[in-house]
Amino acid sequence: MDHLSDSPPRRRSILVKFKEFFRPSGNIHEKRIRRRMRLVSQLNRRLPLIKIALFLVGYLWMLLLPAPDLGRTTYIDENALQPAQVNTEWSWADVHVADQYLAQLERVRDANYSSQQRAQWLNEEFGKLGLSSSTQSYSFTPGVSTQNGTNAYAIISAPRHSGTEAIVISASWLSRTGGGDGTLNLRGISTVLALAGFLKRHSYWGKDIVLVVSDGYLEGMQAWLGAYHGVSQAGLFAEPLKLTGGVIWTALNIDYPGHSFSHLGIFFEGLNGRLPNQDLLNSVDRISRYTGGVPVVLYDHLDPREDPSVNQPPSWLSAAIYDVPQVKSFLVQAKNIARHLRYQANGRGSGVHGLFHQFRIDAITLYAVPATGPHGFHAIGRIVESSLRTMNNLLERLHASFFFYILTGPQHFLKIGLYLPSAVLISVAIMFHGLSTWVDAGWVQETRQVAEKTASGEQETADQAIQWRRRQRPITGALCIMVATHIYGFFLLNVVSSTWFAHNHQLLSAAVFVIFSLLPLAALGIPQESRSDDAPIASILKAFNLCFTSTIISIITVINFALAASMAVLLGLPLIVSTPSPSLPLKLIKYAAYACLGLGWLIFAREETMRSLWYWEVLRVWFAPFVCIVYVPLVIQCGIACLL
Amino acid sequence: MATSSKASPSTYEYPNFYSSFFAIAAARLWLSSKNLSDTLKHEQVLSSPLTSFEQLQEGIHLFKHGIDPYAGGSFRHSPLLLSFFATLLPNSRWLASVLWTLNDLLASWILVQIFRTRQNVRQSPRDTLIAASYCLNPYIFLPSLALSTSSFENTLLLLTILLACKGKTSATLFALSFLVHLSLSTTILLPPILLLLATDSFSHLASPQPTSVKIRRLLEFFGESLLYFGVLTLVSALVAGGWEWIPQTWGATLTLPDLTPNTGVWWYFFTEMFDHFRPFFLMVFSVHLIIYVIPVCLKFQHDPLYATFILVGILGTYKSYTTLSDPGVFLSMFAVFPEIYPYLRHPIVTTLLHLHASLLMPLFNHLWLTQGTGNANFFYASTLVFACAQGAALVDAVWAGLRIAIGPPVEGYVIVQE
Repeated sequence: MDHLSDSPPRRRSILVKFKEFFRPSGNIHEKRIRRRMRLVSQLNRRLPLIKIALFLVGYLWMLLLPAPDLGRTTYIDENALQPAQVNTEWSWADVHVADQYLAQLERVRDANYSSQQRAQWLNEEFGKLGLSSSTQSYSFTPGVSTQNGTNAYAIISAPRHSGTEAIVISASWLSRTGGGDGTLNLRGISTVLALAGFLKRHSYWGKDIVLVVSDGYLEGMQAWLGAYHGVSQAGLFAEPLKLTGGVIWTALNIDYPGHSFSHLGIFFEGLNGRLPNQDLLNSVDRISRYTGGVPVVLYDHLDPREDPSVNQPPSWLSAAIYDVPQVKSFLVQAKNIARHLRYQANGRGSGVHGLFHQFRIDAITLYAVPATGPHGFHAIGRIVESSLRTMNNLLERLHASFFFYILTGPQHFLKIGLYLPSAVLISVAIMFHGLSTWVDAGWVQETRQVAEKTASGEQETADQAIQWRRRQRPITGALCIMVATHIYGFFLLNVVSSTWFAHNHQLLSAAVFVIFSLLPLAALGIPQESRSDDAPIASILKAFNLCFTSTIISIITVINFALAASMAVLLGLPLIVSTPSPSLPLKLIKYAAYACLGLGWLIFAREETMRSLWYWEVLRVWFAPFVCIVYVPLVIQCGIACLL
Repeated sequence: MATSSKASPSTYEYPNFYSSFFAIAAARLWLSSKNLSDTLKHEQVLSSPLTSFEQLQEGIHLFKHGIDPYAGGSFRHSPLLLSFFATLLPNSRWLASVLWTLNDLLASWILVQIFRTRQNVRQSPRDTLIAASYCLNPYIFLPSLALSTSSFENTLLLLTILLACKGKTSATLFALSFLVHLSLSTTILLPPILLLLATDSFSHLASPQPTSVKIRRLLEFFGESLLYFGVLTLVSALVAGGWEWIPQTWGATLTLPDLTPNTGVWWYFFTEMFDHFRPFFLMVFSVHLIIYVIPVCLKFQHDPLYATFILVGILGTYKSYTTLSDPGVFLSMFAVFPEIYPYLRHPIVTTLLHLHASLLMPLFNHLWLTQGTGNANFFYASTLVFACAQGAALVDAVWAGLRIAIGPPVEGYVIVQE
């Protein structure tokens, strides 16, 4: 009874509230202002919590990227491709031809031909097949060493079309095994030669097929591609090409270093973090499995779930946990992702195919993972033939924004929406911290001596003693410091990429490290704020530094996710925890820590530094300039904020 | 203590304006000698089809060989620019980049003069900062390095404003007619500049009073500018040998025949448009520019220079073929109004939006057209971010310009707009 009599007023009160919500009585503006102030104060109070939550979610998300339930299986997006839908005609007779080429190539190798003679021999072999072929010599003089070589190439003009587009089949003289340390790719080249004769016999090609045997590991293909696209670069002399074809849409690079192979490994990362269209990978994957009968792996990672030979738990994990299927999948995918991020972050790509990406060509390397069997020329020939037929079907470039992905396995991938937010969340947290630093810099807490004694006594004066007062935030000083540090980064790049540094980098690295760490100490000479009213430069510099870092991280995500993620990990917490300190020794210790974070690579990663510089000079990989002009200055700015 | 700190700036020697201006000039000349124009001239955010140097050169080449450059449909510069470049001005790449740099330096000097006239001082400690805010503004110097003729439009715009501030009637109206000839959208600046001529250029933002300008006087100004405009049109017709240049130059501004992407909001909209809606939406977009003129002029009638500033910002956001230098001149003009800085509501948000937009635009353009991994929507999205940034700057400028009249904020009081 009781609550029955109760309900009508309650219902009415809900109605009243409802009405109140839509047609508020009283001063609307006052209500709005109060609401806004409430919201702002709520937000302000919870900001630390929000920041911590964003950080945690961002980092956790990154750690959970290899989770087996995340992502989906691959699919073919472009209907025109129709992979693995043709009968292949590559036969054992062609395998025999490839074997014969291999025998001749081994004689060439044993006779110790110069690269000029080698290219000439290849040129003649192409010529014997009735193809228009030619050679191209080049010389690279980046920094210290000079690399000379000669490429050989041949073009099968499209019998069915005007030859406005082209497909490239390439093999480099050196295999990717050991990073181009001298393992020869003889079987890859034999495959290209045998394919040349085989492909010419067929009339269904709608695109030019360009066969390239490039010298060296990366240099030869760079020279050839530059000449094909009419791009010249400093330090490279490349002979112009005598023959050219259409616009290259796709390219397959064949790397077959061993005697036989068990799996087909796919390498796909291009220069500067560009990835090929995923349809190309997926097509080759399907063709390899269904037409060639060869299992596909990413890179050369054999899957422990299918291959007992690699089914060993890592030393830090007990076998019982390792045998949980979820854990095993997680580890497999984590290994793939880690390798992918490593190839992408430093912008070097994962092989010869990466060079094609500079010219908007979708290219991958087919890597015949060395094993004692069971596959050989027969399988790889069929795979390449069928892949060519698939690429031949294309009527327009591969598109459909199928360029943003992380492959966690050969048939499993993460879409952009599943990995991008991890780095963006961290960048948002940094941005929030920067903005709150900026807002805080605008206020100063002061204890005002209350002159007159209030009647109500001691208690009230104590309440009034602490007051917040607005203050000016002059930005010119902080902006000048930021610009100066980026100019300093520019000089750093010039120093480390100069020839005298390249000649004796072992000696000079330490010297450069010391000089460039000491230079920012000049900031100690900046006079402390002339007017005590203004906010200190240090807090303004810190606010701007955080906002700029956040902007850089979130923008880099779309062009090179791995780089953005590593920036988020490297810079996220260190930049946030910087605080000004009163004593000089403490300031110097903090600064030294930031200098090590920013410039430590000069000491601890000398070889990597030299390699990055080589990639910058020869292949225009902008990782080294990015580190010098963006990353180092950002860290140094934070260090200076500690000094001031 | 407080009084001594207030007095201290006057005891300082002003940093010598001429030496720092010389340093800025040297830096800019060094940049122009780097021959960046070859790499930058095809950047779509830096020059539009109406301002590209390459098309200007093509037009001059045709003109010198006795072919009507306006017959082809690719040359869209004004006949006045054509005649200048075909006769007086240099054509070589190197001389051109020096000329463009000198033009920017001139514009920054004019901006400093505008500030001095507004403050009614002969020299001020902010001079260097103002010159630097123009010359070292990336939105200004990058289009200039790409040899976009929008740099000249900016100089002419600032010159018009300076002449109007100084009260030189005929010169102002002639410069304004010239400016409208080069870029038809600047017509919307006519009312505030006529008001500026009729009143003075000092800051009245803090004490708004309704102006008492005689309409008759404005009409006289308008008549005079029409006269100059007519004369310039006749000269153009003489140069071009006919009237075919009108649809190619002014017509292009209104009918958008060339849909090359730029920083503005028009191009993507009209690539997606069905043809039978095109005339209607062209009208909507053009009228949209005009609807701001009267409200802005009414609200800021006490300070027509500020009204001009707001309308320059609207032009940089909403006109048809924008390049980065159009929003750039608006942002640089902020330097002329230091009195509004304490009243800006969200300067850091605006700055960060601009930072994001200016990094995203070249990046997404690259992803779309060079790297091939993105598509047109990417670049369009980044131009929308840019439009938001520009909008935030505009809204904040309007707010601060009106808010200043109420005086500094008082603890416990909040200002609302009815």
